[in-house]
This record gives sequence, C-alpha cells and structure tokens, in this order.
Amino acid sequence: METEQFNIRMPKGLVQDLGIISKLLKVNKSEWVKTKLAEDVHEEKSRLLMELSTLYANGMVNKEKIEKLVGKEVAGEMESIKAIAQKSAQRGIAYGKKFRKLHP
Amino acid sequence: MAKSSGSYILDTSALISLGSVHILEQVLKVFSVTTTGSVIRELEDFARYGDKYGSIAREVLAWKSKLVIESCETKEPIKYIEPTDNELYSLALQKGLPLVTDETKLVHHARKNIEVYFTTLFLVMLAEARHFTKKEALHKLEELRDIRNWRNNIIYITTRNQLELLSP
Repeated sequence: METEQFNIRMPKGLVQDLGIISKLLKVNKSEWVKTKLAEDVHEEKSRLLMELSTLYANGMVNKEKIEKLVGKEVAGEMESIKAIAQKSAQRGIAYGKKFRKLHP
Repeated sequence: MAKSSGSYILDTSALISLGSVHILEQVLKVFSVTTTGSVIRELEDFARYGDKYGSIAREVLAWKSKLVIESCETKEPIKYIEPTDNELYSLALQKGLPLVTDETKLVHHARKNIEVYFTTLFLVMLAEARHFTKKEALHKLEELRDIRNWRNNIIYITTRNQLELLSP
C-alpha cells in the first residue's frame, strides 16, 4: 500500500492515554491510531457523501458543484445513479399502465 | 401481462432485493428472468446462514426452477467490478438484454454499453398496476431501503418521489 507521511501535534495527556491503551492491548500506538482513524474517516466520508447525494437527488446542488467539491469520479457516479433511478421509475410506470390496460 | 412483455437479467443484489420485499413471485409471472450459475452459488452461500440475508436467499432459491440459468464467457471485463458481475455484464451484452442490479458501482460502469435498471422498476410497476396500494408500495420501499442500507440515497428519494405521485 502506498503511504504518505502526515504529522500531527497532540496534547500530552492524549499521548499518555494512547500509551496506556497500547500497553493494555499490546499493540503499536501508531497502528492503533491508524486503524481508528481509518474507521472514522470511512464513516464520516460515507455520511457526508450520503448528505451530498440527498441534496443532489432533491435538485439542491448540481453536478458541477459536486465535481468542484469531491471530484469528477464521485460526481459521475451520482449522475449515473440519478439517471438510472429515474429511468427505472419511468419504465415501471409504463409497464404498470400497460398492465392496467390489459387487465382493467 | 404475458411473459412476452420482457426479459431481464438479474444479479444477486436484485434477486435479494425482490425477495426481501416479497415481489419476486409477481415479477416472475410477468417477466422472463435470466441469471447465471455464479449468482445461484452466491445465493446458496448466503442461504447457509441463519441471518436475514440467509432467509431471503432461501426464499429466492425456492423460485430457482422459474429462472433461466445461463453462463457466459467474459471477453471484455470492466476493471472495477467482480467476476460474477462481469459475467452478467457480458451476458447482457451478448443477448442484448437489460440488466437489473442494485449495485451502484456496476450500474455506473456498465450503463454506457448495456441497458441497466434498479429493482425499483418492478416496485413502481406493481404499484402503478395496483397490485398494491400507494401506502403498501411506500412501505415496501422503506423495507428495501433498510435491507440495502440505502438511507436517504438517490435511489430511495427518486423512487419515493415517483410513488408519491401515484393516486392512493
């Protein structure tokens, strides 16, 4: 896995608490922080993207704005999902109407 | 509506979704549904467990004899998707049939080359055809949202907006 260094200054008390966790769990401090950070980053990213997609679905932000915020790939995926969700609903309506005509 | 009204290829996610809201039987009465042996094996794997997915997979497998099961060589796989999904994609390309899936990544990468739909197509169809009331359809959509962990995503909002337009 490709990595990149990211330095942060932390309060002494927090570093001491990390030391306690590290000794009790018998794990490396950095590894434990990395795992916890990865969990939180994944959860927060999912939550924020969900909020953004809700705004997009309701027409409150457009694709260009999403592209500026999170990049082309995510914006393209949201556009695909919206287009196919609308197409699925429209096709469902068309089939349903056909069905009602044949079986009034 | 006779089965000539359409044929669709369904993946594991689509069969699980339809099974979870108990509309697979109605869909099979109206449409010809094709899938692959790999999908059946995935469902059999799910069915070994006692959780909600296991129970839904067993319900889906009870309709196995009504499914058309085919296999297909994957010639031009899409980089970002699983081998099982690539086989379904190739099958859709080869047969010229639409693919129904609730996998958003698959939809995004496949939509340029094949016709794709979410399973909400069938839910909206059955509601519009008055197989169930608007209230029941909205309730089924909530169930589907929970099983798929959709929360307030685009599929949920778009489908709910469409169902809200139907008469009660």
